[in-house]
Amino acid sequence: MSWEIVFETEQLLAYWHGLLTTLSLLLSSLGIGAVLAVACALALTNGPWIVQKLVGSFTYFVRGTPLLIQVYLIYYGLAQLEWIQSRWDDVWPWTHFKEPFFCALLAFALNTGGYTAEMLAGAIRETDPGEVEAARAMGMGRWQIMARIVLPSAIRRTLPPYSNEVVMMLHSTSLASTVPALTDVTAVASQIYSDYYLPFEAYLAAAAIYLCVTFTLIGFFRLLEKRYLAYLAPRRN
Amino acid sequence: MTDTTTLKLQAENIHKSYGSHQVLKGVTLNARAGDVISLIGSSGSGKSTLLRCINLLEKPQQGRIIVAGEELQLKAGRTGELDAVQPKQLQRLRTKLAMVFQHFNLWAHKTVLQNIIEAPIHVLGLPKDEAIARARKYLQLVGLEGREDVYPNHMSGGQQQRVAIARALAVEPEVMLFDEPTSALDPELVGEVLRVMQVLAQEGRTMVVVTHEIGFAREVSNHVVFLHQGLIEEQGDPKQVLIHPQSERLAKFLSGSLK
Repeated sequence: MSWEIVFETEQLLAYWHGLLTTLSLLLSSLGIGAVLAVACALALTNGPWIVQKLVGSFTYFVRGTPLLIQVYLIYYGLAQLEWIQSRWDDVWPWTHFKEPFFCALLAFALNTGGYTAEMLAGAIRETDPGEVEAARAMGMGRWQIMARIVLPSAIRRTLPPYSNEVVMMLHSTSLASTVPALTDVTAVASQIYSDYYLPFEAYLAAAAIYLCVTFTLIGFFRLLEKRYLAYLAPRRN
Repeated sequence: MTDTTTLKLQAENIHKSYGSHQVLKGVTLNARAGDVISLIGSSGSGKSTLLRCINLLEKPQQGRIIVAGEELQLKAGRTGELDAVQPKQLQRLRTKLAMVFQHFNLWAHKTVLQNIIEAPIHVLGLPKDEAIARARKYLQLVGLEGREDVYPNHMSGGQQQRVAIARALAVEPEVMLFDEPTSALDPELVGEVLRVMQVLAQEGRTMVVVTHEIGFAREVSNHVVFLHQGLIEEQGDPKQVLIHPQSERLAKFLSGSLK
């Protein structure tokens, strides 16, 4: 083992930039994915039949195929379409399909959006019908009940499975290293491996970075759950 | 009964069936201001269904509903069930018909205070500080002052039901509907809820109560309605009706439950 090379400023800086890329990829895809998830969950539980089927097929595809295939389909697959090729030089938003970061982000956001939508839709369906009935009896309208009672309750109950999803997404971002010119933590490790032939050191350092981020995320979700799921905790008095 | 100005609630000729099963075969119920009406009857007699038809949690096939002089505009849908012509009118009338449920139906993720101020703020449009003042007033009435920040799951059933009563009171309704409010409670918790309801009755609030508590019906209500197979079998002054029932069915029902 020769750790000196990994701990040289140049390599540490590369890891740091890799970490920033990984985190921005993670946070942007989670952000876009969350908005998508809420919209899809509402469509799955309250939409017209045809919308439910369409959104259902989307989540079915996302959950039924490997994320790597989805990344390849968007980065390599879409680029083959003449319709997109004829536009990506000057027509927004197709110009973005030339950027590796955008393609990875799109694939990840669609993926986490699909998974989270199903979790949230499940929690919405499991909402105590009595609570909905009480809201109706108090004179609340359909969307008011959704916005004030059902969603706040369902989002809270989705927190524990969602924290797993976030950790899974963090680890999945390492697939972004398969897209050329996208240097996340894993891509940096691969670069150091090929430059110095230090596979163990390079990937162990990457693993350590992922571990730290994972535990930070888990800790963050513990705090959220403690605050927002206090109502489900056993009584203390 | 004919003076419509004091009538708080008129439910006329309510019919409700599920498929071919007729649950209500034309029931009329009027409540004047300050009336406390007990609806009794064996299970399946339609008493809960009648209560739930009044605020349209169940959609009747036939009937009229008039709350404090305002008639709820109804139209028949494809399945033959009546639905509100204007959802806004139904929502407005529902705030005048606050309901207390058998299983409390408190919003579990909201604290006691949040449960009580929800409808005053977001349905009636009250300013928050006014809603909180109201909530504290009614929490005190039900004997739960100081429990504002507790979650319902961390309370006993009797306390939860009293929170639910405070939540119903907070919209200051014309009529309060109670759907078997003590049936889900442990026997030793029934008393605390009935005592609160007795206070409300003494304050002159108009109440319609579906109940199995014959003692409550006799001592607190001023009118009792005995339903049997979707029809009113007998009704009148509880002291008369419950002690000297005219119909054989009511006599039989009471002999099984009178305490």
